[in-house]
Formats: sequence, structure tokens, C-alpha cells
Amino acid sequence: MAGKNVLEIGTATPFKKGYKMDKKTIFFGEVKRFFKFILQEMKPRGKWLTPFNIISLPIMFIGFILLILRFVKGLGYATNLSQEFPWGFWIGFDVITGVAFAGGAYVITFVVYVMKVEKYHPIVKVTVLNGLLAYMFYAGALVLDLGKPWNIFNPIIGNSFGYNSVLFLVAWHFLLYMATEFLEFSPTIAQWLGWEKLQKILKSLTVGAVIFGITLSILHQSGLGALFLMAKSKIHPLWYSEFIPVFFFVSSIFAGLSMVIFEGTISHRVFKDKIDSKHHAAFDEIIFGLAKGAAITMFVYYFFKALVFIHGGQWSYLTDSWGIWYLFEVIGLVLIPCFMFAYGAKNRNLGIIRTAAILTMIGIILNRLNISIITFNWNIPAVYYPSWIEIVITLMIIFTEIWVFRWVVSRMPVFED
Amino acid sequence: MESYSYINIFETKGLEYILLICFLLLFIYFVRYIFSSKKKADENMK
Repeated sequence: MAGKNVLEIGTATPFKKGYKMDKKTIFFGEVKRFFKFILQEMKPRGKWLTPFNIISLPIMFIGFILLILRFVKGLGYATNLSQEFPWGFWIGFDVITGVAFAGGAYVITFVVYVMKVEKYHPIVKVTVLNGLLAYMFYAGALVLDLGKPWNIFNPIIGNSFGYNSVLFLVAWHFLLYMATEFLEFSPTIAQWLGWEKLQKILKSLTVGAVIFGITLSILHQSGLGALFLMAKSKIHPLWYSEFIPVFFFVSSIFAGLSMVIFEGTISHRVFKDKIDSKHHAAFDEIIFGLAKGAAITMFVYYFFKALVFIHGGQWSYLTDSWGIWYLFEVIGLVLIPCFMFAYGAKNRNLGIIRTAAILTMIGIILNRLNISIITFNWNIPAVYYPSWIEIVITLMIIFTEIWVFRWVVSRMPVFED
Repeated sequence: MESYSYINIFETKGLEYILLICFLLLFIYFVRYIFSSKKKADENMK
């Protein structure tokens, strides 16, 4: 246990009868130790001059300054948004795409805690952490794109709830799901702090939190798709469908699984000293299992896409460049990775599975950007492309999330059972 | 007056039905293909 080794947090004498006079002393002693421990943990560990740090630190610094400028000078200064394109890169990439990649958390917790497939237990904590951070940073990026960011509290505090809007559902779900994921991850934090009693209580809440979290996830993953239902005339017919919410939900399953494969592969290399040999050996089997899940989901998704395409009689749209772009997304980045996952799982080929995971992730990014940005307003001359400030701030968000992830993983018992 | 023909595969949604049947048949084969890996691995182990 990481916490206990440093300052023995939580090992103070518990409050027992006969020690009434010492309660205050024990409490303040505990608080003092807690803050000492946190300060100790805030100190950097390991090498500073790594390639990742050298690249990420300047971008984070510049991004932070640009972020302040965005809030001081407004959206017009920082973005290429306009009346024709009110939603840009921050919504399209950070929120819509980032949340899809966070889908791995609800899929894995469902498999482990509801289906009771213990094989995937070693990756639950790290996946939940990944999901929690993704929601905190990417869903949090929603604030960046609001012309009046202080109105973000309106759906919560009742100042014009806006319950007719899909965003009302999305806002509440993001808030509740972040709290739920924090609750799912909280036993690890309690273990890190050495608060064993609290850890037991929090662990007992996990299954309830997981079920609540899965319900929320299904609804808001599809809810993000439902946001685009009102833009029928603006989105290219090849991408618009009344089934967008279902597509968003189904694709979030294999997006999340691909992200888990990708992130897990990197984590197992970067944090190999924190993972015991038993888990290292089990990890390959986990990857094969995830690949099977991704392949089956993508297979279903592809046929559903084909069904909607045929039902809509959209053959005539395939003849121009939009059609080729659509086929590239659906065949090149859904069907081909689907078969690659299947082939890799059957022949136990990790290289093919990892390549398929990367292709799938590119496919998801492309799909979400196609719907929210690229084919949005496809029939008007105006074109939106993100400004350099939008891109730098997005990179800052991604790098900050990775820094926080690294900080948590290198201190808390995330890879321990 | 517009005529209606049952031969028109688009109007009868014949393509959708064909696609759905193909999907169900292929899905069985696909799942079998994926999950046959364990047997193969076990055989290799022997």
C-alpha cells in the first residue's frame, strides 16, 4: 500500500470509549498527518527530462495562457466559430469524441461487477480512472465552448432549467456520472490514504454505483447523438439518421474497448514496475477478450449502418467525394478493423489487435468529427476549420489529463488487486 | 395512377430483409469463428 509506506495514514488510535479526552487530539493529529502526506505525495518523482515532459510542458503552459485569454476576450478571439458553425473543435473532438472513448469504463464495470467475469478485474480500476479523468477533462471542456460559461450551472440550480433540451439530460448525466465514477474509484483513494474502514464502506457501494453508472452512460452516450437530431437539414444525409443516438451508444462500446486496449498497452510498458508478473501474464488474455468484444460490437454496428443506409435509399449519395469519404469511414475504419480484431483474437496476434484498436479509434474520431464538424453545413459555401488556439487548448487538455493520470497511477494502488 | 409492383425490391423492402437474414447467418459464423480460437490454442498446447 502506497500510503502506509510513507506516513502511516489512518493508523492512529481509533475513537474508543474511555478516550473521550483524546478525541480532539487524535482528530487534529490525523488531519495534520493527512496534509503532511498529501504534501509528500505532491513532490515530483522520477526523471524530469523525459521526451513526453519536454513536449507536453511548453504546450500546457501556452495552452493555459490561451485559456485565460479565451475567457477574458471571448470565443471570437480564440475560435473560428460563427453563426453558421456555433459548435466547433472543442465540442466535436473534446466532448463528443472524448466521451465516446470514456465508454470503456461502463463496459468493463458491467462485465466485471454485473456479469461477474473476474478475468477483467485487474483492469477495472485503471479503466474507471481513465473514464473519470476523461469525463472531468473532456466533458469539462464543454465550458470552453459556452459563450456565457457561467450559465453552465443553470440546469443544476434551476435558473431556467431548459428541460426541453437534450443538453439538460446531458448536463445532469455528466454531473451524476462523474460523481458515480468518483465513487467507483474512491475505494482506491481510501486505500491510498490508508483509511481501511472507509474503504470497506465505499467498496460496499460499488455495485450500486456501477449499475447507476451503466444506466447513465447508456443514456448520455446516446444523448450526445440525440443532440444532432435537430440538425437534420444541416448534416449530410449519409451521416444523418434518426438512429444517431443508437449509433453513438453502440460505437461507444467498441470505442471504449479500443481505448482500453490502446491505453492498457502503453500503461503496461510505462508502469511495468508497478504491475506484478501475474497481472502481466494475464494482460494478454484480457486483450484477446477485449478484441473479441470489440469485433462482435463492430460487426453489429456495421450491419446496422448498412441497414439504415439501404432503408434510406442513399445509393445516389455515394457517387461524389462525400460518398467516398463515407465508405472510407464505414469500410476502412469499421469493417476492416472489425475483421482485424476477429483475426487477431482467433490467431492470438497482439500486433494486429493493437493496429485494429488504433484504426478503430481513428474511425471514431472521424465519425464524431464528420457528424459535428466536417459534414455539418455541408450544403453551404462557408467552411469551418479550427483555429490554432482551439488546437493548442485541446492539446493542453489532453496532456493535462495524461499528467494527472500518471500522477494518480504512480501514487495510488491502481494496478493492485 | 401509380402502379405498385411486388417485384420492386425497394418498395417491398426486400433488400432490408435480405440484409437482415444475411446478418443473422453471418453473425453465427462470425461468433463461431472468433470463439474457435480457444480450442485451437488448446490443441496447439497438446
